[in-house]
Amino acid sequence: MSSRRSRSRQSVSTRITDEQINELISKLHAVLPEARGGDNDRVSAAKVLQETCSHIRRLHREVDDLSERLSELLDSADLNSAQAAFIRSLLM
Amino acid sequence: MAISDAEGESPAAAKEVGGERKRKRLAERSLLAKWKTEGERKSYSSKLIEALRVVRRSSCPAPAAVATDCSRSRAVRVAADRALAVTARGRSRWSRAILSRRTLKLRSRARVARLKPPAAAAGPRAAERRKPPALEQKARVLGRLVPGCRKLPLATLLEEATDYIAALEMQVRAMSAVAEILSAAAGGGRSSSVAAEPM
Repeated sequence: MSSRRSRSRQSVSTRITDEQINELISKLHAVLPEARGGDNDRVSAAKVLQETCSHIRRLHREVDDLSERLSELLDSADLNSAQAAFIRSLLM
Repeated sequence: MAISDAEGESPAAAKEVGGERKRKRLAERSLLAKWKTEGERKSYSSKLIEALRVVRRSSCPAPAAVATDCSRSRAVRVAADRALAVTARGRSRWSRAILSRRTLKLRSRARVARLKPPAAAAGPRAAERRKPPALEQKARVLGRLVPGCRKLPLATLLEEATDYIAALEMQVRAMSAVAEILSAAAGGGRSSSVAAEPM
């Protein structure tokens, strides 16, 4: 991404190297749902950040929808039996 | 024997250093994989059910007909997020930030379109900075999305985001499973034995 020239101009205070950041970005890219074929080395940081933001927003929306659904179900829900079911599945 | 011990020390020490690095890498991988295990999901689900119980109890006094779905779904969302943060066991910044929040921050602030920094001013020399402003903008947006990560350096922010995404995915899976069970229980009538769905 950034050229070696800019790396030499980095202030000494930042211990975090570009390589570390690249590693983190590729790790993040691996978690994202865009199924990349094989070439995972040349991911652009901007694209990964963009994808991450939209993915998190999507997940937030899903959680919101699910909590709406759960709040609707709460009235008729029998929490005791659901909890019993969970405990049963834990023990089995 | 002492000599053989001394001889065996250096390769053993080298192995330890290599092993430590491997252990750290494994630990990192297992940190993310932890969110995918059944145990974590079940632990989260049971916490979620308890939280739902509390929400129902707290909203009972209100007349059922006028119960604002909006506020209750928000309460459910807050409870789900808090349960998620507890499941994280406080190892990540976003979980600690969620737990120290009082109420859900309403996204009432209109998203002001940020003016792009004057890229025209950047000459050929200044163009190659450490972090191009486009990246910084995106990093700032990301910092707003992940709770408690507004003023973090990029590396930490990326770590938190990775963990947060894994946690959110688990949250979605667990919540949909709970919703399935609850709707099945509600739809199937009040039978004494509820068949546990294979998860």
